[in-house]
Amino acid sequence: MPIIETQGLSYTYSPGTPYKKDAIKGISIKIEKGDFVGIIGHTGSGKSTLVQHLNGLLRPTSGKVLLNGRDIWENPKKIREVRFKVGLVFQYPEHQLFEETAYKDIAFGPSNMGLDGDEIDKRVRTAARFVGLKDELLEKSPFELSGGEKRRVAIAGVMAMQPEVLILDEPTAGLDPKGRDMILGQIAEYQKENGATVILVSHSMEDIARTTKKVLVMNKGSVAMFDETQIVFSRAEELQSIGLSVPAVTRIFMQLRGMGYNVGDNAYTVKQAVERLLPLLKREVGNND
Amino acid sequence: MIDITLGQYFPGNSFLHRMDPRVKMVLIFLYIFSVFIPQNWVGLGLAVAFLVFVIILSRLPVKLIFKSIKPIIPLVLITSALNIFYISDGTTLFKWGFIQITTKGITTASFIAIRIICLIAGSSLLTYTTSPTTLTDALERLLSPLKVVKLNVHELAMMMTIALRFIPTLIEETDKIMSAQKARGADLESGGLMQRIRALIPIIVPLFVSSFRRAFDLATAMECRCYRGGEGRTRMKQMKMRVPDYISIVVVLAFAAGLLGLNFIFKSVL
Repeated sequence: MPIIETQGLSYTYSPGTPYKKDAIKGISIKIEKGDFVGIIGHTGSGKSTLVQHLNGLLRPTSGKVLLNGRDIWENPKKIREVRFKVGLVFQYPEHQLFEETAYKDIAFGPSNMGLDGDEIDKRVRTAARFVGLKDELLEKSPFELSGGEKRRVAIAGVMAMQPEVLILDEPTAGLDPKGRDMILGQIAEYQKENGATVILVSHSMEDIARTTKKVLVMNKGSVAMFDETQIVFSRAEELQSIGLSVPAVTRIFMQLRGMGYNVGDNAYTVKQAVERLLPLLKREVGNND
Repeated sequence: MIDITLGQYFPGNSFLHRMDPRVKMVLIFLYIFSVFIPQNWVGLGLAVAFLVFVIILSRLPVKLIFKSIKPIIPLVLITSALNIFYISDGTTLFKWGFIQITTKGITTASFIAIRIICLIAGSSLLTYTTSPTTLTDALERLLSPLKVVKLNVHELAMMMTIALRFIPTLIEETDKIMSAQKARGADLESGGLMQRIRALIPIIVPLFVSSFRRAFDLATAMECRCYRGGEGRTRMKQMKMRVPDYISIVVVLAFAAGLLGLNFIFKSVL
């Protein structure tokens, strides 16, 4: 049974006014337990709207969201429990910090769950460790921290609820390359260690290629593709036709092939490219001798 | 939350939408004053008919006009009721203790009710067909003679424009912060008064922080574009009066004069 399933999910903003807009249309997807799914698409393609349905922040205009096979809107009064099971980290999550100390801010989610003090403390420290926050930072005001640290505090705040599904909406937006690598690495580690299901919304093809197993491509509110990462990136022409790019290394591979080099399948991470190209280069060098 | 329509501007391309906002503003004020001229049913009927005519010209959905009237219905009812019970001239229809209902009371009450409704519907036409920023621009122009008394009209208008401009942004921001906190299990809907107030802290603190950030960003951005107040400032969109505007002025003036004239022809019922 998939952990999250959507059936014909549609949502319309401001219905009945001139500002009416269909954000997503008839989305039916299945996400299995332990999956690491990336969601890509243009600005306004409905990515954020889609993920806000998965934890019940938005109520679908039509269609259903099933969590472990049960409609999450079956009992609207219990929607909060869904939010503890499906944790959502918003874009620029550091804008939501409000507590006096980073520690208290991370503890906000777990204490809303009604856990006892010891359990909260344990969860806060575990989450802080996952995102690489040092203990002394926890006692500081979140407003004294640097941008990257704030972001990590905010992500830890959702991780501390230990949700079955963790959704991150553009967690690396506006970070420098080092900060980006760190956060992505920590998310991947969290996923591996907890066997959690993770959904990563991103603009960056490189981020998606490096971390996720499956990719969901959104275009104008509908699902354009939903498949293994490798398969999605092998359909580069289709991606480009809906205005999305493929990772830079994949483009290089496509060009090499266009120039007549037999480089084999497309690579979509730098690591893969190195593995693929090194033997070829060695052979080339060997031939010249 | 996101459904709040602010300044209630309803985009369109009708005659009213295209009018010079200054003319529109002044004429609607004139109409509102004229509604108080008629002393007889014919005049009042003309005032209502004129409003209906303008509503048709604006091509707004009638539903919208009713929506703007809805909140003032209690006010209309209370004022009418007060008038009915208060006025004791005319033929008595009903008497019970100190409560007395007369024909004149009913007439006055209906006049007041119709006038208030015309007044609200008329002014909502202005906000429905003019975007808030255009409105403040027009206001700036109309108030510019006040510069003589050292009132900085430009700064006032700029503040109003900025405030209006940022209301939707702040609503969006509030919405986002609320969603983010709800995603962390914040409970905003249940509990007693104190609990609910405390539940707002996670919303208000980030909202405050981001408002200040936005204000500083805006100030920097304005300075980068060499903003230094209204002096010598020109506009991209010049307000210009065209033939339809002049025609409207004539029509509304004729309408007001007509109402005055009708007061002499027909006997006052008030």
